[in-house]
Amino acid sequence: MVNDFLIHHLPLTIYHKIQNMKNLALLIFASFFFSCTSKEEITQQQYSVEGMALYQTHCENCHQADGAGLRDLYPSIQKSTLSPAALSCLIRNGKKGKGFMPANTKLQALDIAELITYMREKWGNQKRIYPTDSVQIALKNCR
Amino acid sequence: MRQKLIILSLLIAAVTLSCSQEKKLPFLGPKSVNLKGDTVYHQIPSFHFLNQDSVFVTQKDLEGKIYVADFFFTTCPTICPKMKTQMLRIYERYKDRDEVRIVSHSIDPDFDNTSVLKDYAARLHVEAPKWNFLTGDKAAIYTLGQKSYMVSAQQDPNEAGGFVHSGAFILVDKNRHVRGIYDGTVEAEVNHLLEDMEILLKEL
Repeated sequence: MVNDFLIHHLPLTIYHKIQNMKNLALLIFASFFFSCTSKEEITQQQYSVEGMALYQTHCENCHQADGAGLRDLYPSIQKSTLSPAALSCLIRNGKKGKGFMPANTKLQALDIAELITYMREKWGNQKRIYPTDSVQIALKNCR
Repeated sequence: MRQKLIILSLLIAAVTLSCSQEKKLPFLGPKSVNLKGDTVYHQIPSFHFLNQDSVFVTQKDLEGKIYVADFFFTTCPTICPKMKTQMLRIYERYKDRDEVRIVSHSIDPDFDNTSVLKDYAARLHVEAPKWNFLTGDKAAIYTLGQKSYMVSAQQDPNEAGGFVHSGAFILVDKNRHVRGIYDGTVEAEVNHLLEDMEILLKEL
């Protein structure tokens, strides 16, 4: 709530304050706030870009570039309801039997974090990093 | 002056004639000459494999037809999905033409039994006899791939999925001669294949 308020209303506030040349403190606070946000954004973008490359190498052959899959042979991942933790396990360990998916034992926790960050930005509409340590915890608790 | 005109018109005629000649597809593979002096082209030998409906498929089933062959296995994580995406284009285009067939040989017959292939075909929404997924004796499959279709197909524990095989689509005519080999993982190559199939259909 507070964040939303700041994001939407700060620029206008700054504008007025500069006009009046009165409240420098708020200006300093604002620049600090924005630099923090952009640093996180940059990391998110790095994850996403790396994730896209990994997606193309390890996933796209079957699930296609648009994530739609191939008929009933390879499922669509556009509307997957898997949790990030379950997804981490699926990517690493694959799936046996019906609906076989190969394991990706060479993918490290960071790779998987990047992949999930990319996928949920592209199909989950969430611009948020899925952190590497969350992947590590998830992988320890795979069923 | 008159001589020049004649030469010119001859040239024009030659160019027009050569242009109007239809494109012919080559005969691939080793050739030999028989006792009568005729050229004998490389030919796919007869084979005997089970398809996804547990029906034996032999060259008899392909008589008088042209077909596209490839090698794959159902658990292949690398190029097969791309190949299947492209092969579906051929399937959809020639769905209603009985003179065109598709033959996909599994190179992992130990795992890809008929029921696995049946499930695979069903999930791809394709049917025999238009598209046959074949399984059988492993050695026979590898020999057929390497000697007859001239593509690599064998077991290799170092490869992802455990097998190495080419992503080739092989175009075979009504007399079982190989008339074209294309990269089945590349859309542009498969466009060429579709063009060449039209040329081959005219030979029927």
